[in-house]
Amino acid sequence: MAPDTPPPMDCPTCGIRMNRHAEKLILADDDEGVESQLGGIIEETHSCPGCGDSATRRV
Amino acid sequence: MATRPLSIPVILGTARKGRMSAHAARFVVAQLARHPGVETELIDIADLRLPTDDAGEAIKDAGFAAKMKRADGLAIVSPEYNHSFPGLLKHALDSCLSEYIHKAVGVVGVSAGPFGGSRGIQGLLPVLRELGLVTIFWDVNFGAVGKVFNQAGELQDQAFVQRTDKFLKELIWMSETLRHGREQIALRS
Repeated sequence: MAPDTPPPMDCPTCGIRMNRHAEKLILADDDEGVESQLGGIIEETHSCPGCGDSATRRV
Repeated sequence: MATRPLSIPVILGTARKGRMSAHAARFVVAQLARHPGVETELIDIADLRLPTDDAGEAIKDAGFAAKMKRADGLAIVSPEYNHSFPGLLKHALDSCLSEYIHKAVGVVGVSAGPFGGSRGIQGLLPVLRELGLVTIFWDVNFGAVGKVFNQAGELQDQAFVQRTDKFLKELIWMSETLRHGREQIALRS
């Protein structure tokens, strides 16, 4: 695993390894949690190849 | 072919009394339900009762959010009010975000006049993009909607069967393709 590879996430519903398929920049209108270079918060989205459930986490 | 059925709900994007868009939305649901392997339902934003003293994810409706999370694609039926889409539709859509990521969406425009809600659709597309949805390149435009449906909601212009079918086939293809991508294709690190 490359040093900058995010840790995997397991499905909260069925427990199998999820697929990390998106990083979404959430533009903030306050200073809380703002990533200085991008101007917002990065949220990863993971989806489960087994049951289709999805989960997110902030980077 | 996915083993789980595709979930493609239809959002009726207006709560205005006497809305003819309800006829269009019910028609789209019926047409979508004819496709094997697709589950659909009508989501009426008039039923959400979202508060107006806050906005965004702070006012999330648990039932609506669960349906958006389960969805593989969305069909939004939106009338055109004052050259745009309804503000209440924006209020409802803004209540979710992560639920929409990498999911397909198609828009059905409705208007009393001749343009079929096209100006409302044009205003809605950048909003959908920012929400993380992936728009398809087919729309359905119910112009002069008062002539397309009678007061009982029965379709009077059969041309809309084929137009809607083309729209839905593209929406289903995009929904299925994006589900494969969400579940199988990793974002590069």
